[in-house]
Amino acid sequence: MSFKKSTVLLLSAVLALSVTAGCKKKEGAPADAPKAAADTIKIGFLGALTGDVAMFGKPTLEGMKMAAEELNAAGGVLGKKIEIVEADNRGDKQEGASVTQKLISRDNVIAIVGDPTTGITKVAAPIAQKAQVVLLSAGATGPGVVENGDFIFRNTLLDSVAIPACIDFFANDLKYKKVAIITSDNNDYSVGFSQTFRDAAKGKGITIVADEKIKDGDKDFSGQVTNIKAKKPDVIFFSGYYTEGALIMKEARKQGVKANMFGGDGLFSPEFIKLGGSAVEGSMSALGFSPEQASPETAKFIESFKKKFADQLPGLFDAQGYDGVMMIADAIKRANSADPKVFKAAVAQTKNFKGVSGTITIRDNREPIKSPLCLLAVKDGKFALKAKVPVKMD
Amino acid sequence: MGDFLLLLTGSINPYYLQIIVNIGIGIILALGLNVITGLTGQLSLGHAAFMSIGAFTSALLTIKLGMPFFANLVLTGFITAGVAALIGLPILRLTGDYLAICTLGFAEIVKVVFLNLDITNKALGLTVPSAITAVPMPIVVWLVVLLTIICVTFIHSSRFGRALMAVRGDEIAAEAMGINVTLYKVQSFAIGAFLAGVGGGLYAHFMGYINPSDFGFLKSVDILSMIVLGGLGSITGSVIGASILSAAPEFLRFMASYRMLVYGGLLVCMMIFRPNGLMGGINFTSLVLRTLGRKPHLKTIMEQKTAETSGPCNGDT
Repeated sequence: MSFKKSTVLLLSAVLALSVTAGCKKKEGAPADAPKAAADTIKIGFLGALTGDVAMFGKPTLEGMKMAAEELNAAGGVLGKKIEIVEADNRGDKQEGASVTQKLISRDNVIAIVGDPTTGITKVAAPIAQKAQVVLLSAGATGPGVVENGDFIFRNTLLDSVAIPACIDFFANDLKYKKVAIITSDNNDYSVGFSQTFRDAAKGKGITIVADEKIKDGDKDFSGQVTNIKAKKPDVIFFSGYYTEGALIMKEARKQGVKANMFGGDGLFSPEFIKLGGSAVEGSMSALGFSPEQASPETAKFIESFKKKFADQLPGLFDAQGYDGVMMIADAIKRANSADPKVFKAAVAQTKNFKGVSGTITIRDNREPIKSPLCLLAVKDGKFALKAKVPVKMD
Repeated sequence: MGDFLLLLTGSINPYYLQIIVNIGIGIILALGLNVITGLTGQLSLGHAAFMSIGAFTSALLTIKLGMPFFANLVLTGFITAGVAALIGLPILRLTGDYLAICTLGFAEIVKVVFLNLDITNKALGLTVPSAITAVPMPIVVWLVVLLTIICVTFIHSSRFGRALMAVRGDEIAAEAMGINVTLYKVQSFAIGAFLAGVGGGLYAHFMGYINPSDFGFLKSVDILSMIVLGGLGSITGSVIGASILSAAPEFLRFMASYRMLVYGGLLVCMMIFRPNGLMGGINFTSLVLRTLGRKPHLKTIMEQKTAETSGPCNGDT
């Protein structure tokens, strides 16, 4: 068993590389650590920067960085600079757990904003709770997140809050009576969302005439659409993502179904219109943010976002990431302490916080409530604001 | 005792502890697959399915029955092994690519079943409470790792293990030697699944939240890469392969966006320069014995041999 020369070279190169890399870190750490602890407040970003769900992670991080820049330009929080510590988790749960541990124990963050998806938030939440670090998810909408403990929060508009408001709007303003539900049953977001819809529809004068199932990745929906067509619904509620949504609408129009589609932020993507073309004209997506009809706070945010990103408009996740950092900064200021054990109480008392993604109040059960809800509809090949639906704040 | 162990694990940085546990779980899964694919030569692409059966079984045993963790793990292992034996009986009569496709199909069925069962909370997944044991999780995981390594080593050097290797070498020849090929294959399948089930149970309780989509085809391929990287059939190889691949994403983190590129590049280089895996064709025990000087080095053996064969000739002249 003699190693080839080239193998030995390669292996030693890899070893040398990892050793130097390791050393660099070690040299840097002790010198920086005490200094950093003294004059910065570290907030960790948990989310995917690569992989399938990077489309949620990247904008969240952008929003967070913008918030930190603005806070620092205004002199920081409690005289300290805010620093965002980022690490990619590829949308993988095992890596999400490792990253959470790293942020807490190596980088000594006082709070974590993320993960934008419910699954990884559920893995990260017990870790943050145990280490007594505040975790504020900017995107997790599913159940079972804040139940992990008193250090865990989120700032998204929950489906359980948004859907009843939407249904009221449908029943009262649009006079819809019959709804067909389509669920993607291998998608946790979709299954939870549909269940919320079914629960919320009870006693609102809306009947569910069809309850069809599909799978993420399916291409042929003729069977489901045929079933729906026979029931003549006023609107099709689809709780999944844009790819399947667009294909369902194409099939529906082919079969002559007149009803439009309605869904959550899963449908809100330029791809939905690109794939669906004229078939998705009139389809609606309900989400917590729209750059149109902006409040003063939101208008300011949009302006500085445009300056930074070459005239692009910010999206929901940019706004929620921004609000996440701002909410934590606000709580730190109110508590006059950057100790998570102290300012977590201030986060829990957040009331009528004027965020760029809406007005946010944290209720007694630590779940957020947010108003207004934006109902967007596709008009002339673009998502346009159809209505701002107020959500009852209690 | 429990307090002392808690203090021990408490003194290690939780981030490293996390990586150490990830490595441990990786090793258990890899050793399980190594029995099936490495030792018996049956290519299985459904190892993650057994892991998910183990994860959900173990989680439900804790949630519904409140079973102590050690009993829970053993029962989980046996249930998973039972499922594997049931599945194995019909499909292990196939070989090679056909078997691989069958295991792939089985994995998909398991995923769909869990996505539709009410008891597993459908696509929403299960939140798993902490394990019912006084011993901290990292210690439990590594105890299981040690036990696994010991058991698998015994299997390797036993009559049973040699029979499995005979099946890997040539099924017809093995049958001719009186080995019940199907029976041995099913047994090895069940052993591999047992370990996958235990690994899944540990994963479920350590992560605290499981979802059927976590155990997809990619997870199976991850485990397969571990044993191929380490060297098929080698226990040391599986341990090293699992350690490298479980820890690599974290140790390559300093490269930020390039890390998965480098990770892939390392795998490619590995397969070019050591196609049999890191420890492929290396006998670890004799390697250790040789470095300790307890066994003559290969070179000296070769020299002795040449001396022996050329010896008499020299004498003649």
